[in-house]
Amino acid sequence: MWTRKPFPIAAVHPFQLPLGLVIWALWFVAVYGGLSVGCAIATPAAEAGSLTWINAVLGLLTLVVTVGLLALARFCLMAARNEPRTERRFIARLAAGVHVIAAVSTLITGLPILVLPPCV
Amino acid sequence: MSEQQTTRATRAAVWHNPTGWRALTVVSHSVIGKRFMLTGLVFFLVGGLLAMLIRAQLAFPDQAFMSSDIYNQVFTMHGTVMMFLFALPMLEGLAMYMIPKMIGARDLAFPRLGAFGYFCYLFGGLILMASIVLALAPASGWFMYTPLSSDVFSPGVNSDFWLLGVTFVEIAAVTAGIELLVSILRTRTAGMSLSKMPLFVWYILVTSVMVVFGFPPLILGSILLELERAGGLAFFDVARGGDPLLWQHLFWLFGHPEVYIIFLPAAGVISTLIPVFARRPIVGYRAVVLAVLTTGFISFGLWVHHMFTVGIPQLAQAFFSVASMLVAVPTAIQIFAWLATLWGGRPVFSLPMLWVFGFLVVFVFGGLTGVMLALVPFNWQVHDTHFVVAHMHYVLIGGMLFPLVAGIYYWLPLFTGRMPSMQLGRWGFWLCFIGFNLTFLVMHFTGLLGMPRRVYTYEAGLGWDIPNLISSVGGFVMCAGVAMVLIDLLTHARFGRKAKANPWHADTLEWSMAAPPPTWNFDLLPRVHDRHPSHDAQLQEETWLPDMHHGRRETLGCDPVSGEPRQVIHLPANSWWPFVCALALAALCVSLLVRAYPLAAFIALLSVGLLSAWSWHNGLRKPHARALPAPDPLPMHFTGFDSPGLWGTNAALLASGSLFMSMLFGWFYLWTVAPLWQFPETSPLAWPLLLTVCLLCSLAALLYRRTLVRLRTGDGAALPRTLWAVAGIGLVACAALIALLRAPLDITGQAHDAVILVMLLYLLMHAGVATLATLLQLRRVALGYVSAAAPFEVPIVRQLWRYTQLIAWILLLVLIAFPQSWGVY
Repeated sequence: MWTRKPFPIAAVHPFQLPLGLVIWALWFVAVYGGLSVGCAIATPAAEAGSLTWINAVLGLLTLVVTVGLLALARFCLMAARNEPRTERRFIARLAAGVHVIAAVSTLITGLPILVLPPCV
Repeated sequence: MSEQQTTRATRAAVWHNPTGWRALTVVSHSVIGKRFMLTGLVFFLVGGLLAMLIRAQLAFPDQAFMSSDIYNQVFTMHGTVMMFLFALPMLEGLAMYMIPKMIGARDLAFPRLGAFGYFCYLFGGLILMASIVLALAPASGWFMYTPLSSDVFSPGVNSDFWLLGVTFVEIAAVTAGIELLVSILRTRTAGMSLSKMPLFVWYILVTSVMVVFGFPPLILGSILLELERAGGLAFFDVARGGDPLLWQHLFWLFGHPEVYIIFLPAAGVISTLIPVFARRPIVGYRAVVLAVLTTGFISFGLWVHHMFTVGIPQLAQAFFSVASMLVAVPTAIQIFAWLATLWGGRPVFSLPMLWVFGFLVVFVFGGLTGVMLALVPFNWQVHDTHFVVAHMHYVLIGGMLFPLVAGIYYWLPLFTGRMPSMQLGRWGFWLCFIGFNLTFLVMHFTGLLGMPRRVYTYEAGLGWDIPNLISSVGGFVMCAGVAMVLIDLLTHARFGRKAKANPWHADTLEWSMAAPPPTWNFDLLPRVHDRHPSHDAQLQEETWLPDMHHGRRETLGCDPVSGEPRQVIHLPANSWWPFVCALALAALCVSLLVRAYPLAAFIALLSVGLLSAWSWHNGLRKPHARALPAPDPLPMHFTGFDSPGLWGTNAALLASGSLFMSMLFGWFYLWTVAPLWQFPETSPLAWPLLLTVCLLCSLAALLYRRTLVRLRTGDGAALPRTLWAVAGIGLVACAALIALLRAPLDITGQAHDAVILVMLLYLLMHAGVATLATLLQLRRVALGYVSAAAPFEVPIVRQLWRYTQLIAWILLLVLIAFPQSWGVY
């Protein structure tokens, strides 16, 4: 007989509701602050365009955060599918949506890193 | 005691609201909510009058109706009044009135805090109004940009009126945010889980969190600017290591979320009304909740789009440009949900729906111009022109005023038990709608033709004459519409026909009450089974808190997620303390305004004393509070550890944390960006002393933790001993901090030293409050108010110590360890 796989409580905990967007906010502060600090301590040449160490670091951070948020979304979604209690399912599905939106927001907001010079 | 024995007279006696002078003691959420809305209405009329003065001045070129100085005061006060004294307080008043009724509570979690917030708002508003009467109104724009607002370019007290008055008003906003946040999470009726909460409650929940995080950056900015103006400290002066752009960052860190703080409650009204008048449940409840959460967060990542022209690198601008466009997505999700609900339902085009229709048209248009302004090159072109003024009014009037009036018309039968006049209401709407579009649609073109904002007059022949005249005529047409609505609202209580029960056939809980509702809202608190409780035949099958013979004001305390009852919350009754404390703070504000500093110091001490006395009296003193056991199978909140007070303290500490983070942002911003920022050769602070403070705070927090562990096992024997130790530690920590403040800081010469001073004062304030609270606890333990049987205050004071400990260690890292590791000292 098929049985529901137990899932960690963390996936259906209400703290998941703001978590994805809190991570987005921290990423946002990190890239904006990181850009300012990077430009202050070691400004790359303007001719280098977007091929600079600052773009590389910020771009990598953006990718890591996006993948992490998508993994969190999958974690919550799986938990929602396995959760029999309505209220917990509601939270897990909502949280999965928040994580997906946060991941998309991170990726889209980070796209200019590919094309723009950092300190001009 | 059965419910039959609790008569209406008993309930009325417990929840009695006195009249005459004693009306100042009333704390009922219904009364406070109505006071907020009526006061907000008066300020709206003042702001509207100022708007008409502006339109009269600009109606024709080369007008000499107002001088440039008076015009500057008028447009500054128009923006200030509308943003700080009308929009948010009005919506908070509506939320304070409606939320307990929608979630099935008898009052908000902290009734006295709500009353205190109202008086702060009233007195702060009156201080600002006084500046108009004295012709000393602020004149630097509602955003008070430095250096224009600094003492060099704005001497006199005009800017001080703004900084002190608005900060005072912001106390009201933050207290209301904390109160609504905790009330929604902890006082819902049985069965109202998160997934069964009305959408309006979700919107207010998110808005409350935004208020808690969004207002402190401006409070900090105002304090810093006032310190610079009055005390000569350096924060925004480039020559002394400051930077005027720091003000812009702090202002817009608040200012942009503020737009959504105003929009979200209004959108909550729309999400409530559309399903009712479409006669079907909302399409995509979960998607709407998701959109509201997303809007709440992303709105904090847009602030720099107000600063695209100040010289920020392209890549940074691009981040904010994209985020500004992104926020349109959750807004669009809500709009599509509303349209789908209308499409799938059988809409009734009643009077509130007219205003909803007006909102949809105007707000969508304003949102589209918002996306245009998010594009950096376009933004550069129209920056500081009337295009931005037009966009802003489309968003704010469309996104706030239209839904507000829709909501007022919708809930009017509940407020007064009478219906509005459909005839007057329709006239009011069409005059407002036509007048508004005449004024502001045309103003977009005035801006595109190049007319800048904030000019008191213009020359003829620039192509701005006709558009300005049309805008002015439109403004007065809108005024006539507002007058129609006001006449309707004022006369309906006398001439309106009596409302039937639930006249709109709405499904939310407030419509299951009598109209107008009694001061206790519900005779019996019901169990909710779905999102449509007023249509639920089983609503009264299981009820809670029937008895009131004990004389306590009570409501249910629930689990924040499931909504299942956990405890009975004993609510405080009417009191003079909120009024007296707000009056003392108003006196402090005025004494600072007139720069009577010895008097201000005395009133500050008096205020601390009064606030402490209030906290003392708010505790359990009257025998009836504990004498009679509750008939319900639930513990009273003061017998446990997880009280609403703990949640309120945590929310207040989040607000304080937001202010602290803004301060850290200021430190790093000036360090990185300010062109003349300088570190001295060695740190002016004695690091061993700061390390001692950190260790002492940690020790106090640790002792509190151990006490709490023992209390949880029912052992309160060590409580007095531990509190004596913590109080002693606190006093030594405060003394060490005062010694640290004697460091040779050049606070008027260097921003570096001025920022350090503010950070240390912030830490001292928190250590002082935690120590004072511990001393009060000691006395309360001695009198038996706090014990193993009533331990709920202990975790609250523990939170104060944990927070103080946290900021002490962060300051050690930020002020000493990090700069030294960076090699700047």
